[in-house]
Amino acid sequence: MYIQAAAGISPQRSFEAILTQPQNYNGNRLSCQEPDYAQLIDPRMIRRMSRIIKMGVAAAKECLREAGWEVPDAIITGTAYGCLADTELFLAKMIENKEELLTPTAFIQSTHNTVGAQIALLLKCHNYNNTFVHRGFSFESALLDAITLIKEEEISTALVGGVDEITPVSHAILSRFGLYRKEHTDSAALLNTPGKGTMAGEGALFFALSASPSGNDCAKLDDIYTFYKPADRGAVKEQILSFLQRNRLAVKDIDLVITGENGDVAGDAVYTALKTGVWGNAPAISFKQLCGEYPTATGFALWLAVHILHTGKVPGLSPATKPRRVLIYNHYQHIHHSIYLLTAC
Amino acid sequence: MADLKRQIIEQLNLKDVKPEDIGDDQPLFVEGLGLDSIDALELIVLLQQEYKIKLANAEEGQSVFRSVRTMAQYITEHQPKTI
Repeated sequence: MYIQAAAGISPQRSFEAILTQPQNYNGNRLSCQEPDYAQLIDPRMIRRMSRIIKMGVAAAKECLREAGWEVPDAIITGTAYGCLADTELFLAKMIENKEELLTPTAFIQSTHNTVGAQIALLLKCHNYNNTFVHRGFSFESALLDAITLIKEEEISTALVGGVDEITPVSHAILSRFGLYRKEHTDSAALLNTPGKGTMAGEGALFFALSASPSGNDCAKLDDIYTFYKPADRGAVKEQILSFLQRNRLAVKDIDLVITGENGDVAGDAVYTALKTGVWGNAPAISFKQLCGEYPTATGFALWLAVHILHTGKVPGLSPATKPRRVLIYNHYQHIHHSIYLLTAC
Repeated sequence: MADLKRQIIEQLNLKDVKPEDIGDDQPLFVEGLGLDSIDALELIVLLQQEYKIKLANAEEGQSVFRSVRTMAQYITEHQPKTI
């Protein structure tokens, strides 16, 4: 599976900015660096779009531009929370207007598949369009759907994206669940100051996947695997080793490991155990200090990996040689675990 | 009619449009202001919210929402009388 382009809107301005001057945040959330959407989206369409839709559509457009595609064979998105701002607006109006006189736009735009639908409307694309809402596996499910369709030769190109937003209401609710830190934290120091909870994040990352090489691909996605609620850390280790084995690889063959530590002491224990028990001396970096924690954060990790393989540059490391093979391992709340394997083209 | 134009702009979030940009007889849909079917639903909500007018049947929409003037006429004719 070839990745012809990877583009997105995240709390970081660009991959180059991460290398030179990563954006740091103080508090308990990292917010997206948003472009001037008026330059990217038709003003007649933009007037109805909430923030997450604008983020998704702009990221998808940029990805298509970088890939040089006009219309993909499929548009597949993954989102755990969907269009929260429109959902909140619609629910607030329901209460305010006593369930009468509801504004149709917020209702129509509140569904989880709005981002994928708006991209299709913009492109006048009547091809396969699907959205996966599967908590910490939402983005992985979208990718697996694209991979399956490509392998079955139903399609040869797919635009795949992961999108999730934080709103003040969702942030307050998830904070009450204990997901985020109560005290203010510097994102750059997030992983060095383990505590209870993490920093919230958000993002919209899109990828142009194709069955055959274009000669100008950014990376190759060799494999992806998900597993749910492993019994213990030993089971995680077993799953990772089995994943490597099915790809006929050993840890020594991996040039770079990208892992999903988020500063939460309970969740990070898994990564710490893997560091000593599996990765050993393999070069490793983390990514959630750059994008925050959210259910589709692996979209950001994949975007990071693609740029690392394409440019040969690794944030925070100076490798002697360009990494050729990257492995991503992440878990979301120790429930949804995913592993990706990529190679340079 | 200026008030109605302001309400339309606000309801439909027409950010770059000013009331004076909308002609009294300019078509609201397609070739005029470029509104679409979702906007028609928003205009129905606007009539109910601001003027307590419920469109008797959907067929009426096409003639009522032809322009700001036709909307204003419909509102004048159908607005509930206050005592």
